[in-house]
Order: sequence, then structure tokens, then C-alpha cells
Amino acid sequence: MSISHHPSEEMLLLLANGRLDLGRCVVVAAHVESCAECARRFRVMEAVGGVMLRDAAPVAMADDALALAMSRLDGVERFEPAVQDLAVSSQAHGEMPYLPEALGGYRMGAWEWIGPGIHRRMVEVPDETGARVFLLKAAPGTRMPDHTHTGTELTLVLSGAFSHAGGHYGPGDLDEADDTVDHQPIVDAGEVCVCLVAMQGSLRLKGMAGRLLQPFVRI
Amino acid sequence: MIAIEHWASAADRPVLRNARTAHRSKVVQLKPMAQTRSDDLSGEQAALLRAVAAGDREAYAELFAYFAPRIKAMMMRGGLAPTPAEDVAQDAMLLVWRKAHLFDAEMGSPAAWIFTIARNRQIDLSRRARRAPTESQDADFEQVDDEPLPDAKVAAAQVDGKVRAAVLRLSAEQQQVLQLSFFEGQSQSEIAESLGIPLGTVKSRTRLAFQRLRALLGEFK
Repeated sequence: MSISHHPSEEMLLLLANGRLDLGRCVVVAAHVESCAECARRFRVMEAVGGVMLRDAAPVAMADDALALAMSRLDGVERFEPAVQDLAVSSQAHGEMPYLPEALGGYRMGAWEWIGPGIHRRMVEVPDETGARVFLLKAAPGTRMPDHTHTGTELTLVLSGAFSHAGGHYGPGDLDEADDTVDHQPIVDAGEVCVCLVAMQGSLRLKGMAGRLLQPFVRI
Repeated sequence: MIAIEHWASAADRPVLRNARTAHRSKVVQLKPMAQTRSDDLSGEQAALLRAVAAGDREAYAELFAYFAPRIKAMMMRGGLAPTPAEDVAQDAMLLVWRKAHLFDAEMGSPAAWIFTIARNRQIDLSRRARRAPTESQDADFEQVDDEPLPDAKVAAAQVDGKVRAAVLRLSAEQQQVLQLSFFEGQSQSEIAESLGIPLGTVKSRTRLAFQRLRALLGEFK
């Protein structure tokens, strides 16, 4: 997969030092999973974090800290990572090209119709900022409503492609938009487009048709 | 209960900023250290982790003595009060014990691995504190590993010595931005504010710093 739109240095750095809210964390991590270049950028950042930790000037722990730490080892079990049954999960999710591992473990709602040619499936990510995470599926050639945002929106293409003023976005591409961006994505002809979205704030439709549609579009 | 959370709501922001700017004068530069010692330490710590994986409590005590006070320091620089910072250090080290058998020296240094564990633990605790402040901490801890860690797949790093040498070759300004990002956990706009420079300058310094690091670490996996 040829990826041409990547997270900014700042976004990746926030992910590396744990400062990203969970909604965006899931979407950026899903991009990093499928993008060798960003996986490498991310590893460099974590390596720097490791060096910073190792070279940190220590702050004394409580007097009984070591005793407490040793007592906590009694009876504690070794951690075994959960093995995902990919065959089962891909079947269960139906119509999905693949689901990023970053989504593993989060419950999903059913596909719901939210507008002509557009379906949405909520992902139950308990984001602390109230951002919503969902899958968006749009039919080939769908012209999304001309819109702007009240907060930031991250969109990762899982399959298919779309274009807007910012460029063409195919599988693996990450689109970062905020309230300064005003765009109207158009889905490529020939293939359904499925995206993973983390949206803060809400979407504002533009134009007369948009204002009429706004009450019905529950994005 | 976490006193200060990094995704604090708008109302919490001033607290966060005050806690951060209060010690902004204490930004320190990394001091050059002999490369050999740096590599030896990583190797030693990797050996200790392997012993811990085999159930060696003395090796665990040794790793605890080294890393717990440093995790605590990092959390405090990031804005946590001493008690929650100490809790993160304790919990992260318990996870080191529980996960030691999963450590892969091929994938990175012990310090980078422990850094990711401490970071994830802190995120987890903050999230819990926000979601259910009344739950007891022990009950919380039992659930920790059931939650997906979005970046578990890519958590890896290379030998510290090489990375450290590369960081030291950056300009002082670039090192300072890295220090504030990782050590103080500041966002780009917080860095701009505490250094009194434009946000665009912070962004370009960060971008150039990582470009340079990636070039210097060319053979990095």
C-alpha cells in the first residue's frame, strides 16, 4: 500500500509520550500499524523516551517502596497477551477489508444509515475528551456534504479512496482536519470507501441543502 | 486519584500550565557520557530482565532500584504530584515483573521498553481517574491488562547508546524541545509558551530534530 498522507510530527510525538486522547490515539496507532515509515518514526521517538528515562535524575521513592514492591509479586500471574481470533473477528465485522489491531477489544455498534449512501458504525472508545470514534462507509461516488468542523477530525482510510481540496486519500492515508479546514470529500468511483474516524466537537454542514440536512445527519 | 491529567478539561488547564511553568528554568541538557558505559548498562539491564523473566527476585529488586525512582521523576516532571507519581512507578514495575518474558532485546533497549510500560500505565490510571473516581485502586489494577494498548504492536526501540549519541548531536535548541516533550510532557503550544517563542518555530525544531535523528540512526530497524 502506497501511503502519502501521514500524521504530523506533533501528533506522533503526542502518541509516543502518552499525551494523545484515546480517540485520536486509536486512529493514529491504526495508521502506524499499517505504515512502515511511521512505525520507524515512532520507534525512534520511543527510543528517545527510553534514553530520557534512563538518564533522568532519580527522585527517591518512599522508604518502604521496595518492600511493598516485593510483597506485590506474591501470587501475581505473568501477563499473557490475548490472542485475537482474526478469522472470527473479520467474519463478525463483515464487509471489512481488515480491522486495525488498535481497534481490538472495543465493542462496535451496528451499521446505521446516516445519509444517502453513507453508513456509520460507532466504536465504543471511552475517550476522555468526548471525541467519538466510528467507522464510516460511503458508496462509490458519494459526495459528502460540504462541511467544516468545530473540533479536530482524524480520518484513516481503511479501503477505497476519497478526494478533497487537500488531496487524494487511499488506504492507509491519514487526513487531519480542524476548524480551519472547510472541505467536501468525494468518494472515488468504483469502490466503497471505509474510514476510521475520531471526531472532536461536531460537524457543521454548509449551504442551504446542508442547513436543511443538518437535523438529519447525526454525525 | 491523579491530581493533574494531561487531557485536563479547559477549566483544568491553568493548573496544568502552572505546574509546568513553575520549573521551566530547570530544563537540563543531556550530559555526554561514555558510549561504552551506556551500552554496558543496557546490556546489564537486558540480562536483569531475562533473570526477572525466570523469576529472579534479586534481579527485580535491582531493576526496581534503578528504574522506579526515575519513573517517579519522569511522572513528576510531567506534572503529577509525588504520591500518584510513586504509584505509577510501583504499578509500572509490577507490570515489568509480569511482562518480563515478553521483552525482546532484538526489538529495543530495556529503558525504551520500560518507558512504554510506564507511559501506558500512566495513561491508564488517568483515564480511570476520570471515568470512575470512586473505584478502588486495587480493583482497577486487576482490569489493566484487559484494555487494549493501541501501540503495543509497535512498541520497540534500539540500543540506547546509539540513540543517546544521536540526541547529543542535535543542536541545543532541538535537544531542549525533545526534553520538554518527553520529560515535561509538554505539547507544542505549551513549549512555545514556556520558551516564549512562536509555535511555528517549535514545530519546525521538532520536525528537524526527528529528521536528523532518523538520518543519524539510518540503520535503525
